[in-house]
Amino acid sequence: MDIQLKRGLLDVCVLAAIKDEDSYGYKIIKDLGPYIQLSESTLYTILKRLESAGMLTVRSAEHDGRLRKYYHITDSGLARIEDFKEDWKEIMTVYSFVTKEEGND
Amino acid sequence: MTKQEFLERLRAGLSGLPEADIEEQIRFYSEMIDDRMEDGLTEEESVKQTGDPDQIAQKIINETPISRLVKEKVRNRQPLGALAIILLVLGFPLWFPLVITIFSVLFSIFVTIFAILFSLWVTDFAMALSSPGLFVGAIVYFAHANVTQGFLSLSASFVMAGLSILMFFACKALTKFTIRLLKSSAYGIRRLILGKEN
Repeated sequence: MDIQLKRGLLDVCVLAAIKDEDSYGYKIIKDLGPYIQLSESTLYTILKRLESAGMLTVRSAEHDGRLRKYYHITDSGLARIEDFKEDWKEIMTVYSFVTKEEGND
Repeated sequence: MTKQEFLERLRAGLSGLPEADIEEQIRFYSEMIDDRMEDGLTEEESVKQTGDPDQIAQKIINETPISRLVKEKVRNRQPLGALAIILLVLGFPLWFPLVITIFSVLFSIFVTIFAILFSLWVTDFAMALSSPGLFVGAIVYFAHANVTQGFLSLSASFVMAGLSILMFFACKALTKFTIRLLKSSAYGIRRLILGKEN
């Protein structure tokens, strides 16, 4: 997959993974596993980027005697997901145009 | 590999990054391994799934903007003393031409290498072209019943064909080798500036 496209997709995937409830690194990777491949170092970069863009916040909470970082989606993070859905509708329209010719073969 | 070993190797690989960044990475990967173990994996398996610490460190370093690495390097240096600054200013006529010279030499080496490669390719191309030319010449000689010249021309044509094919592979290999050499020396210069040991 095109690297720029994948980057954009991964951002939205990570946001979607923490949309319903706060989540932590390992759980995000596990939840996304069936849909898209994501390495730890990539996830780290994405989380950093989303945090500095204000799309998520981080808090450390104690779990089983150790600290675990939980990621919480912000309003602008939720807005990003909505934007993605809107964008995707447009992309699907273009997609159906692009594949129209092939369908007539 | 144990979790401890993994984290130690990761830390070693990340030296050169700002200390705060290293701590954050260590905490992140430590949490990952702990969560895998909580998920039912053994320590060994958890570390294995997380990946190779050397590769991870290399990837992190590669993704870190070079400005950040340099800034960290500069920050760790002792501030310049008054004497050093005076020497730097007074020495300007001395070190400035030196720097320019070093860069010019590096640049001319670069140009020379490519000029050599280019001329080798051109030679090869000329030999490849001369082969059919000599072949046509041979036919013309034969047509004029000049058998000696004809054979001479024909054999020269074959020799040129053979030489040009051999030289083509030699040129290709040499070009590849040069590109690899330039790449690794660029990497070497980057390491020299950043002063990373491993």
